[in-house]
Amino acid sequence: MTHPVFESELDAYLDGELADDDSRELEAHLAQCPQCVRFRDEQLELRAAIGAQIPVFQAPDALRKRVLMAAESSAARPRAARRLSVRRWRAPLALAASLTFVAVGTWRLAGEGAARETLTSEVLGSHVRSLMPGHLTDVLSTDQHTVKPWFNGKLDYSPPVYDFGGRGYPLLGGRLDYVGGRTVAALVYGRRQHLINVFLWPAAHGPSGGPSTSTSQGYHLLHWTTGDYVYWAVSDLGLPELEDFASLLRKADTAANALN
Amino acid sequence: MESRELERFEAVVLPHLDAAYTLARYLTRNAHDAEDVVQDACLRAIRHFESFNGEEETSARAWLLAIVRNTAYSARRRHRAEDVATEFDEKSHSDTVADEHPEAALLRSAAKESLALALDGLAPEYREVIVLRELQGLSYKEMSDVAGVPVGTVMSRLSRARTRLRQALRDGEGR
Repeated sequence: MTHPVFESELDAYLDGELADDDSRELEAHLAQCPQCVRFRDEQLELRAAIGAQIPVFQAPDALRKRVLMAAESSAARPRAARRLSVRRWRAPLALAASLTFVAVGTWRLAGEGAARETLTSEVLGSHVRSLMPGHLTDVLSTDQHTVKPWFNGKLDYSPPVYDFGGRGYPLLGGRLDYVGGRTVAALVYGRRQHLINVFLWPAAHGPSGGPSTSTSQGYHLLHWTTGDYVYWAVSDLGLPELEDFASLLRKADTAANALN
Repeated sequence: MESRELERFEAVVLPHLDAAYTLARYLTRNAHDAEDVVQDACLRAIRHFESFNGEEETSARAWLLAIVRNTAYSARRRHRAEDVATEFDEKSHSDTVADEHPEAALLRSAAKESLALALDGLAPEYREVIVLRELQGLSYKEMSDVAGVPVGTVMSRLSRARTRLRQALRDGEGR
């Protein structure tokens, strides 16, 4: 039989967690107790077997990217705000009118660039959050006539909802999201195993334009503006397919407007 | 999070992403769920990173692993509530031997299989101490931070888990 006191200390000893005095005592005991030596050898065998047979895993690259992107998008918001506030203070210090004009002009450009950058990272952040279990949809329905009324009373606009199931982009549902300082409609469409998030909110009166394309951390973003709405579509789909989807959406919008 | 915080997060927390994923793999016993757990845990870590100032008793690794552990346990409770626990278990068991050529499976020793299966078969409280200690080399103090139990409890769990695995190893050799 082994000696229970030493047996219980052996784990801590082999783990390098036993105090020096106790270690010396245990070593002295091992020198004269074959049973405890056998127990130690079994423990060492187990450690070797675990090391050889139980693998350590590497985090998949896509996961690493998503985490990094979430961290960056959470960092982007305060940074952009800080940049703006610094310039706002600097502008009144310029005394000459022309200099003030230049300073304000620069501020506007920098402000718009930063705002656009912030919006992109917010849209991306929302897309990534929506991929977490249970976060994708508030209203789960492939029926556009269920999804559209669901937004009634939740938003001050009624977002157009289409189903492109026949073209391989089925509607999966919708939810409320928060982008650019306001509550917006997010519509979720599928493409095979991929998801597309479409964010839209009413456009300020301006020219319609786009779509413009950007790619960040493995996701593609398409952004365009119609007479009525600002659109963002985000997905890990290949760019040609996402563009195909966006053109379906734009055509459907045009057709719907022609009826009104 | 501010940009200075982002740099600190990248330097202090991200190096432990493999450890986080490994723990999640063994707690969920499934690659897909492990990714969900780690992603969810990292979003929490980002949100609460400012409260982790690095001068605390616990290491950044233990801090992240504790979040991963808690996330995995609440995901597990959710799965249970949805009553898909059985499917969850079957999926994970087929996952441990997935993508293996039939001949390779035959050649694989019974002992080898029994150790991996024995680890999967342990209750999560026992499985996690083996993963944290044997695969990731955490100290008893770090393990106690991760599991939220006293060091004495960590030691007794570790001892019981090792006894079970030694038993499995012997049974495997005896076949």
